[in-house]
Amino acid sequence: MNLDELRKTLAECNSGGRTVEIRGGNTLRAFGTPPARADITIATTGLNQLLTHEYHDLTCSTQSGIRVAEFADLLNERGQFVPIDVPQRRKATVGGALASGWLGPRRHYYARARDLVIGSQIVLADGTLANAGGMVVKNVSGYDMSKLYIGSFGTLGIITRLNFKTLPVPQRRRALIAKLPERTRARAAAQVAGSAVTPAAAFCIEGFRKAIDGEDGIDGRIFILLEGSEALVDRATRDLRSALGRAGVPETVIVDAGAWESFERILDAAIASVGERSLTYRALGMPADAVERATALRDAANRHELFTDVLADIMNGDVFLRVSERDSRAFAEKIENCDDALRSLAPRSVIAAGDAPIRASLNSWGAEPSAMAKMRALKAQFDPNGTLNRGRFAGGI
Amino acid sequence: MLVQRLADALGPNAVKTQPEDLSVYSFDAYSQGRTPKAVVLPASTLDVAAAVKIAREYGEPIVARGAGTGLCGGAVPAEGGIVFSFARMNRILELDVANRRAHVQPGLVNLKLSEDTSAAGLFYAPDPSSQKTSTIGGNIGTNAGGPHCLSYGTTVNHVLGLEIVDENGDVVHTSVEDTGYDLTGTLVGSEGTLGIVCSAWVRLLRKPEAVRVWLAGFPDVETASAAVSAIIGAGIVPTALEMMDHLALEIVEAAFHAGYPTDAGAVLLVESAGFEDDLQEYEREIERIVRSAGATSWRVARSQAQRDALWAGRKGALGATGRVAPNYYIQDVVVPRTKLPQALEAVESACDSRGIKVANVFHAGDGNLHPLLMYDRSEPKQVGAVIDAGNDILQAAVDLGGTISGEHGIGYEKRGTLTRIFSTEDLAAMARVREVFDPRRMLNPEKIFPAGVGCGEVR
Repeated sequence: MNLDELRKTLAECNSGGRTVEIRGGNTLRAFGTPPARADITIATTGLNQLLTHEYHDLTCSTQSGIRVAEFADLLNERGQFVPIDVPQRRKATVGGALASGWLGPRRHYYARARDLVIGSQIVLADGTLANAGGMVVKNVSGYDMSKLYIGSFGTLGIITRLNFKTLPVPQRRRALIAKLPERTRARAAAQVAGSAVTPAAAFCIEGFRKAIDGEDGIDGRIFILLEGSEALVDRATRDLRSALGRAGVPETVIVDAGAWESFERILDAAIASVGERSLTYRALGMPADAVERATALRDAANRHELFTDVLADIMNGDVFLRVSERDSRAFAEKIENCDDALRSLAPRSVIAAGDAPIRASLNSWGAEPSAMAKMRALKAQFDPNGTLNRGRFAGGI
Repeated sequence: MLVQRLADALGPNAVKTQPEDLSVYSFDAYSQGRTPKAVVLPASTLDVAAAVKIAREYGEPIVARGAGTGLCGGAVPAEGGIVFSFARMNRILELDVANRRAHVQPGLVNLKLSEDTSAAGLFYAPDPSSQKTSTIGGNIGTNAGGPHCLSYGTTVNHVLGLEIVDENGDVVHTSVEDTGYDLTGTLVGSEGTLGIVCSAWVRLLRKPEAVRVWLAGFPDVETASAAVSAIIGAGIVPTALEMMDHLALEIVEAAFHAGYPTDAGAVLLVESAGFEDDLQEYEREIERIVRSAGATSWRVARSQAQRDALWAGRKGALGATGRVAPNYYIQDVVVPRTKLPQALEAVESACDSRGIKVANVFHAGDGNLHPLLMYDRSEPKQVGAVIDAGNDILQAAVDLGGTISGEHGIGYEKRGTLTRIFSTEDLAAMARVREVFDPRRMLNPEKIFPAGVGCGEVR
């Protein structure tokens, strides 16, 4: 579907009382709730062109349906990139990544992808085209509407184009991996987070063995991604190895070739499902207590006799907890009580992945944000007929 | 009655009504607005909510004001009404060193936040040149930038959550980590038209281990612009990349004796912050690039004192202009960085043809121009010429694919020009947001969006 067809289809649905589901790569379909009703699906994947790459200006403009990995490859031809760290980069679209507001693990280091968006184009429910921002890196002309559309899960309109500030590709990339006995975890995380040279990403991982294919064993491990100049990566390697040593971590492995692939597997793990017998919760919070929070959530799930896999982003504070059972029936029996326990620890946690049928009876979006009334009013302003992704978003929006 | 009600709610000392007090709140660093009916100085979020409810009852528009350092009339009353000053809400409420964030009140002076968190090894990155006086609340209103936003990003990238009072007098909390729409990102830069910021959670950064500042001299602005393009095009993003032309150098040097070369046609002030290991290589690379682009001199600021002196000159350039001209008009436009030479040419021709003296001192790395057009306000002909020249510069930026404001906002001054970059449909989408937060248009009315009233009326 090209832009004109998309506009026409959407306008017809909107005036004809039909609801529309918007689909990019369909990778985050299990993040939050599915649309309550969808008469037709509009895919953005036909809008897959990088429109311009003004590499001398460090900016670019792309259609939203381009795959994240393809977008990255094209920018890389000129030694540039935009850090869009989402699971399944080969399938996920740039528009979907931004529309979902997915928070990537390198955001503390480079910026959120949202922060690098300098302009956008959106098709509103009635088919109207609205532009925001532009192609300059600084712009305070009118409201920054792109911010509203990013993370809106397609409930306000369909993002069709995004303009970004690009960044120069770092000279060097390296991963440090170490086995992490539980007793060392909190100290190791604190050492890494407090290190003078900041890692581009760092995780404490427990389980997710199939997803990450690591040799982590039961102890779990720490994964640190370093990006920067040769000199900086060398120094970070020295600093972090000795910091981990001080925390009681026996041995740190350096991975140069394959560091990126390992990182991608961790991105994928965040939504890796084991079919109808698992759910993954995402609990955001302060970086300093990420390990503690992860442990508390895991212990709560273990008390309900569920298997757990844990991914704790120690630079940003995001915790992903996957809970599972041997089969979907056993899972369904245990999850409701476990869900209550997890929510009491992390009220605003969101169910980010998992196909267990039982989730229809759970509150995938967690406790409502305090500004829910304003959000509902925004939805009513932008999509009065409830045409777009109805029920897909928090608070039933 | 209105005044009495406000005084009852906030305390008699929190309401100003004397004409000499009120007139202070009728202008900012450039624009003259109307005199408000009253100025309130709330001491808490509850005070703000109470005052908003009273204003609403009396149908009085509300203008939130930081330090009034804006240049577009964003903080001056267009219709009288009540000005909210945050001079009494100026504290850091909480500092979370481990997670590098602070909860601050809107009246906190920008620079004070960095000063007060410095002992913890932290700083607040957005650093508008007005940072010695401008406030976090005002910075949030305009999504303020500053020299260092080249690498750190503007205010919106550093605001994690807000507490606002809406037009109804209700308190609304937002956080970038909440589920739901990114209200925080939408509110930043809305110039007080969607809500009144009562507190903000902001991100702090760790102070860099090492900083280097370099000064490259060029025969003219054209070669300096080419050097900017060459640096950015080589994939180098310094922490700051600022340009000053010959006249700006003369003005700044006369006022600050900072060590700027007055024989240069233009200079680039370049800063990189990070780690010593990196900076040496950066230094070699940047020197190589600027020399091959035509730099005639290259200096490394060796000490903290030298760096501070250079920055004091740069950040004090606006103020120093007052020494050589009775008045100046500063334009704030942005172009794609590779279009700087054409944009500077347009500035020169807009001013030369009208006999206006112009100094350029600006954020070259971002393509954000700040030509200072000098004039005498008591000469009506000069005023007209400066407005026309400013308009030509703005149009040139639009024609070059740029925008009409980089960091000062639209306010009152530029609202008539918003249609040059946005269609009716684009603006209608913005109006939908306004409808949710301020359906009666009581929050900073007559700002940002074009209306029937022209700019001339408020001037």
